[in-house]
Amino acid sequence: MSEHNHEHHISTAKQLWLVGGALIFLTILTVVVSNLGLPSPLDIIAALTIAFVKAYLVASFFMGLYWDSKFNAMLLVGALVFFFLMVSVTLLDTLYRVDAVPSF
Amino acid sequence: MANHSATHPAHVQHHFVDSDQQFESAKLGMWVFLVNEILFFGGLFCAYIVFRAWYPELFTQAALELNKLWGGVNTIVLIGSSLTVAMAIRSAQKNQTKGLRINLLITIALACVFMVIKYFEYEHKLHLGIAPGSFWNPTPEILHELSDPRANIFFGIYYMMTGVHGLHVLVGIGLMIWLYIRAGKGHFNSEYYTPVEITGLYWHLVDLIWIFLFPLLYLIE
Repeated sequence: MSEHNHEHHISTAKQLWLVGGALIFLTILTVVVSNLGLPSPLDIIAALTIAFVKAYLVASFFMGLYWDSKFNAMLLVGALVFFFLMVSVTLLDTLYRVDAVPSF
Repeated sequence: MANHSATHPAHVQHHFVDSDQQFESAKLGMWVFLVNEILFFGGLFCAYIVFRAWYPELFTQAALELNKLWGGVNTIVLIGSSLTVAMAIRSAQKNQTKGLRINLLITIALACVFMVIKYFEYEHKLHLGIAPGSFWNPTPEILHELSDPRANIFFGIYYMMTGVHGLHVLVGIGLMIWLYIRAGKGHFNSEYYTPVEITGLYWHLVDLIWIFLFPLLYLIE
């Protein structure tokens, strides 16, 4: 019994603090980048890139997907795939309208 | 039967082979729930993307009414609480009940700080008449800054996304209090800490959602 449980990954306090520190650094970085006044698509790309790096850190090390069953990681990636599918199909409609919302 | 129960720790329900299988099943169940949560927030993010693609200038103008500083402080508060939840799980894994309770308490405190800051942000906006939907009634000075007649769309999205996220924080505070009480009764140890683990997963997801809300709502230039 106990042999099985000891297989659970236990992060060291140092690892957890490093991840927390990296997340705070990236938060400050995203604020700094937003103040640079980058031209239109670049600012969104930069903000989302930083957000996805942060999300990767949280999911991998705080939520433990890095050590976990790959099936759980697949569920998360699957959710993202279906989210992008939902957004893409919606944009296929909304981006190509003559009148965004008629009579608005 | 007697042999069977002798090898079965008290926390393992009879339909599981062993403690590990029970733990992995609980975690899988939580991940399926989190997928549902991601797609639920996904609908709101989809609305955000559609309206931002239609009215980019509106988003640039309306976002100026949000306070970057408090949004940033709240981001760091939530990251801190994610760190303490991870530390709480580590304490449970190492049989440190005291560390578990202290980390849960800090997490509850940070979550409350988040809600208090959110309350003051909402309070400030509502005071200026920047309210959702039919309550939209900005003061003349605000109307001057928000010249776009569709400004209420941005705030409809803002209140819906941050409001639903705030509800998740409140639920998280409730769960964390429940864990704190159970930890005090000695329910968790290195062999059994499933509720701490899956509540942690939930809490990290709440943090993940905010990681996207912060740049998308507060940091538009």
